[in-house]
Amino acid sequence: MPISARYVARETAANLWRNRLMAIAAVLTVGVSLSLVGTALLLRQAVNDQLVALGDNVNLQVFVKPSASTAQIATLRAQISETPQVRSFTYLDHLQSYDQAKRLFEEEQGPNGNVIISALTPQTTPPVFEIQLVHPGDAATVAAVFQGQTGVYNVAFPSKSIHDLQSLSNVVQVVLLVLALVLLISAVVLMLNAIRMAIFSRRREVGVMRLVGATAWFIRLPFMVEGLVQGILGSLLAIGIVLLGDLGIRALIHHFPLFHRAVVPGHDVFVTEVIVVLVGLIVGVVGSAVAVRRFLDA
Amino acid sequence: MIRFDNVTKSYKGSVVALNDVSLEITKGEFVFLVGASGSGKTTMLKLLLREEDIDSGRIWVAGREVNRLSKWRVPYLRRNLGCVFQDFRLLPNKTVFENVAFALQVIGRPRQVINTQVPQVLELVGLGQKGGRFPHELSGGEQQRVAVARAFVNRPLVLLADEPTGNLDPGTSQGIMALLDRINRTGTTVVMATHDSSIVDMMRRRVIEIDNGRLVRDQARGIYGIDPAPSSTFGLPATGRLQQGQAAGGAVGARRRRSAARGTDPAQARRDVLATSAVDAADDIFEPRAASSLPASRPPRRP
Repeated sequence: MPISARYVARETAANLWRNRLMAIAAVLTVGVSLSLVGTALLLRQAVNDQLVALGDNVNLQVFVKPSASTAQIATLRAQISETPQVRSFTYLDHLQSYDQAKRLFEEEQGPNGNVIISALTPQTTPPVFEIQLVHPGDAATVAAVFQGQTGVYNVAFPSKSIHDLQSLSNVVQVVLLVLALVLLISAVVLMLNAIRMAIFSRRREVGVMRLVGATAWFIRLPFMVEGLVQGILGSLLAIGIVLLGDLGIRALIHHFPLFHRAVVPGHDVFVTEVIVVLVGLIVGVVGSAVAVRRFLDA
Repeated sequence: MIRFDNVTKSYKGSVVALNDVSLEITKGEFVFLVGASGSGKTTMLKLLLREEDIDSGRIWVAGREVNRLSKWRVPYLRRNLGCVFQDFRLLPNKTVFENVAFALQVIGRPRQVINTQVPQVLELVGLGQKGGRFPHELSGGEQQRVAVARAFVNRPLVLLADEPTGNLDPGTSQGIMALLDRINRTGTTVVMATHDSSIVDMMRRRVIEIDNGRLVRDQARGIYGIDPAPSSTFGLPATGRLQQGQAAGGAVGARRRRSAARGTDPAQARRDVLATSAVDAADDIFEPRAASSLPASRPPRRP
């Protein structure tokens, strides 16, 4: 039997309007919880991007004494290439190292950046082995091997900051996701209640429908669509919140060049929004399906 | 049309609502279900609609075994069964027209069908001019007519009525009965559960009496008052308290006179058959019906 779309649309709109307070509460809860989900996803993405950026750069830098002999450098090169944890490495001599240092300090644009640059000369800048490790987490072990070797000036690695960033983001993510989960559950419950009230306020109609032989789907569909609409509205709200938050963070980050990498590209934001809408749809369908099963088919 | 084979139904808490009931109602019959409150009349109607499941036995309606229908087929069964209740069950926020149209709408009938069928059936129940009214603007009798229109608008094979006159005064009740009689003459089987002894005695149709879940009487052209219990004789003490012997005797004459006035004497019955067969011939959804299956020409049975 064909179910007219116009009938479903009209009935759904009537149901939503009749229980508008409940519907608004459900939509808001879905919206807030989904925006938390979106934020958690984006945060994860940002941290991952940051980690990838760090990993692609350099995990470990072995600075060679400016005074080291060519033989000492050759020994170091051989030793580095034989170390199993090393994925790849590049050697920057005095001049290249100086150029890189200059670029780094200029980038930072701090007030004493120029002072440092002016203090450096190609001759006094230590050459450097820039090493990429298979696992950035091995940096400390590898660093210990080279620290204090003949010809080595110093070893630097950002391992601690990687670790800190990772664990901080893990904690924040877990907190956000737990909050989002709790809110999602309450959203389902609110939605369930909204639909139950809609069913209750229309029990006469439903009774007559059953009596004259309306099919189960014909009776259910307006209520199911009601839940779906609430889910969609909630996820649209969440998208708005997440987009605004993203814009705000972009504007803020502009002032903090060190976190440039933390800005999530638009593509990932879009993927996140799609996930948010999907979760919203699922919540809507689940909420209304449970309500319809429990309160309509009984 | 309707058949019960050894049907037993009990509700939770071991209340036996129907106990080994067997009966058959043929197409076009008008049947009264009588019995005290809680005797099982309403349960029988609910079983026909498959609102309840049975413990054992079998039930057929219109050639389909009701208790074995899969759940998704039940709505299609109900489209063949019109229902009228004591409390009308109209939708208060819809007009008379919309209330009747609703029954067609929710089974997916197209608009043009609704727009032709609804005025027709409203005309049939005598509310042709009141389609725009709301239920609360109508009298009880008019509201019940709307309910009958809603039950009949889809041209069901069977019309089930659960105490349709329970909330109406005697005069209004007669009007509703005349309407049900008219619907019955179009070939629609009518099964009516009632407490109203005056109506049963007046109509002289087949009477099935249920007592404590058991079928205790199945009487063609029967009367209400075989049961001597005072509780079931309200409304018509004179015939209600009749004992079985008396029922066969003097009281019948009086009743026959009243039946004649109501147009259910044998001559009228033959006219009814002719009228119904004409309707049947015109309407191919109804199978041709043998005159012998008519209640009026059936030999009276005694319990």
